[in-house]
Amino acid sequence: MREINYADALNEALRECMTADENVMIMGEDIGLYGGVFQVTKGLIEEFGPKRVLDTPISEAGFVGASVGAALTGLRPVTEIMFIDFTTVAMDMIINQMAKMHYMFGGRGRVPMVLRTNIGAGRGTAAQHSQSFHSIFAHIPGLYVIAPSTPYDAKGLLIEAIENDNPVIFVEHKKLYIEKGPVPEGRYTIPFGQAEVKREGSDVTVVATHAMVGRSLIAAEQAAQKGISVEVVDPRTLVPLDKETILTSIRKTGRLVVADEGHKNCGFGAEIGCLAAEEAVEYLKAPVARVASPDTPVPFSPPLEQAFIQDEKEILLAVEKVAQYA
Amino acid sequence: MAVEVVLPMLGVTVEKGSISEWLKKEGDKVEKGESIFVVEADKVSTEVESPGSGVLAKILVNEGIEVPVLTVVAIITQAGEEIPEDILAKAAPASPVPEAVEVDAVASATPKAEPLSPIPAAPAPVFSSGPTVQSGPVRAVPAARRSAKEKGLDLAFINGTGPDGVITCRDVENAATASRPKASTLAARMAAQQGLDLSVVAGSGIRGRIMRSDVSAFLDPSQSEGPALGQVIPLSNVRQVISRRMSESAFGAPHIYFFAEVDLDPLLAFRKQLVPQVEDAFGIRLSLNDFLIKAVALNLLDFPLLNSRLAPEGVVINPQVNVGLAVAQPEGLIVPAVAETDRIGLVAIAEQRADLVERARSGRLTLPEIERGTFTVSSLAQYDITLFTAILNPPQSGILSVGQTQDKLYLDDQGQVRSKKISVMGLGVDHRIIDGAVAADFLQNLKRKLEAPAFSFSHL
Repeated sequence: MREINYADALNEALRECMTADENVMIMGEDIGLYGGVFQVTKGLIEEFGPKRVLDTPISEAGFVGASVGAALTGLRPVTEIMFIDFTTVAMDMIINQMAKMHYMFGGRGRVPMVLRTNIGAGRGTAAQHSQSFHSIFAHIPGLYVIAPSTPYDAKGLLIEAIENDNPVIFVEHKKLYIEKGPVPEGRYTIPFGQAEVKREGSDVTVVATHAMVGRSLIAAEQAAQKGISVEVVDPRTLVPLDKETILTSIRKTGRLVVADEGHKNCGFGAEIGCLAAEEAVEYLKAPVARVASPDTPVPFSPPLEQAFIQDEKEILLAVEKVAQYA
Repeated sequence: MAVEVVLPMLGVTVEKGSISEWLKKEGDKVEKGESIFVVEADKVSTEVESPGSGVLAKILVNEGIEVPVLTVVAIITQAGEEIPEDILAKAAPASPVPEAVEVDAVASATPKAEPLSPIPAAPAPVFSSGPTVQSGPVRAVPAARRSAKEKGLDLAFINGTGPDGVITCRDVENAATASRPKASTLAARMAAQQGLDLSVVAGSGIRGRIMRSDVSAFLDPSQSEGPALGQVIPLSNVRQVISRRMSESAFGAPHIYFFAEVDLDPLLAFRKQLVPQVEDAFGIRLSLNDFLIKAVALNLLDFPLLNSRLAPEGVVINPQVNVGLAVAQPEGLIVPAVAETDRIGLVAIAEQRADLVERARSGRLTLPEIERGTFTVSSLAQYDITLFTAILNPPQSGILSVGQTQDKLYLDDQGQVRSKKISVMGLGVDHRIIDGAVAADFLQNLKRKLEAPAFSFSHL
């Protein structure tokens, strides 16, 4: 199969959906003429014109609100927020409007809208452009929260998100945009709530999201050389969560590491750790370990930022730690 | 980092112990969880596991020297690491500790703790050494708990080898697959040298572990026979303890004795009737001692003063009634106690008694089983001994001695000469606590209970 990168896979999903359905339109800051800061929307304004590819002012609350309205009145907007850090400006629109409309109107209004944004440190963009607080959205009922880790998953999940009639927070990862992988041409979808076992193993389960999936696969390879067999499970969608695949793996290995780039405190790792405690405690052979970003702002200084980012080294340490419980 | 090895807390009233055998030499590599020495205290030997991994850099207390519990006895370092001065400085000297400095030695071995005024109650049957002496609940990962439950294993008897001594799944697996008891390092070495198969040797260590003495006794049975003329027998730790405690008791607690003839005919008839039924229903044979133990326990409920001990704060009436039974074994007398004797039935007493006696003979009792006794029954009924006196088992305040059962002639109501089975029972009490009238009352009531068994044992 041909290999393309994550940004191009997303671009292809948008192009195919916009071709298939004239109600699909996109908006956001610098997504038109510039093609988006990560070039996810490049070439789309030329192909579909400025009415369906809308460059907005720097006004997140305004254009997210506009997207909610457009969705309620029949369009299927795919709106980009340049960095997840900027969603804070539009939290009322996201949490109180986008997530609630369908419920508040007793099901008589739908918000078939996708809010694309991204997380991840490592690009030297400091504390206000590098955060990974996607777990906040998983806390809010009424939102789907998607976390693609590969180009294949990015395309399949984005098409599913656009075709879905409910509001979706589609969380991409900055460091993944240039990662290449096999992606089929044409339409395919990945259903929400279907985790994927990215590597099979028998000693330790690593539940990993986003860039942590690739890092976990590297750590798993290193662990294998030390005689530890690691299974890597990628939930792919945080809401809805495929508990069964995760629990099946935990019941098999008895040891759990959760690797997610969000801060540790109240992060996604806590949710999965608690799932293990609530539904598989009698299978646990070791304490649960979390690999998460430290509970500090993301540093700007490159050496400090590197120290902040948890990668395969920390994952391997965590795997070795839980593997000590023979 | 250097790890201190301390003499573990061995039980509620144990203050001192001595290392009877170092299983490792200075300079040996040790693994956390591996047995490194055997400690003897108050009649019980226990293997103690290493609290850390590294090199046994320094042994501070040699074999046979008695030191307070929690004394630092050795230091484990990482390869190439110097022994930190501060640890050496506060460690106990390798010679007996004079009485006066004991408190300091204990306190300094546990720098962060308050001076140990009351010794914490830690009746854990598995002892660990090191500063993290466990007294709380058993620590095991959840899957190990489930596995132990499925296999019917008691986690309290499984050693944890996971991080910080937690019991892992593998520990449970190992415990389950341990088909026969392990042997100590020295025992294994000696057996290997002599070409002896260890599976034929009975172990007397904790949980049936085969010790060096078991191997030598097996190889040279004459060692376990009686003493020879002119021989000097060094005092074993057990004998030393018996010697000290008996002296303390005999010379510290003024004993007074009372004797009564107990008519055993009714009890023997009662037992004869009960034995086959109980054996059918419960698979255990009730002994006369079981009735005796139960009767004593019931009588102690009527006379709580005899279930007491003298303490600085006054006469402490023990909250539980645990009647001990003296068991003779080659190394010396040992008295395991049946727990909560007043509350449990005859069958449960018989089960506990059989188990305790069997384990007493193979040296596998735990300290709590020995220490929990609140009153002792000592029987020489199988000997041709009419009556005897016994020394109180400190800190208890009462002991019943039971002589042989014999025929006695008597005149019945019609003036006919008849015979009955009697036993002369002796009661020894601590006169500091108990006066003669109370003791006499106790013995008389016990006699009545034993002579009216149907009534005594049916109102349980």
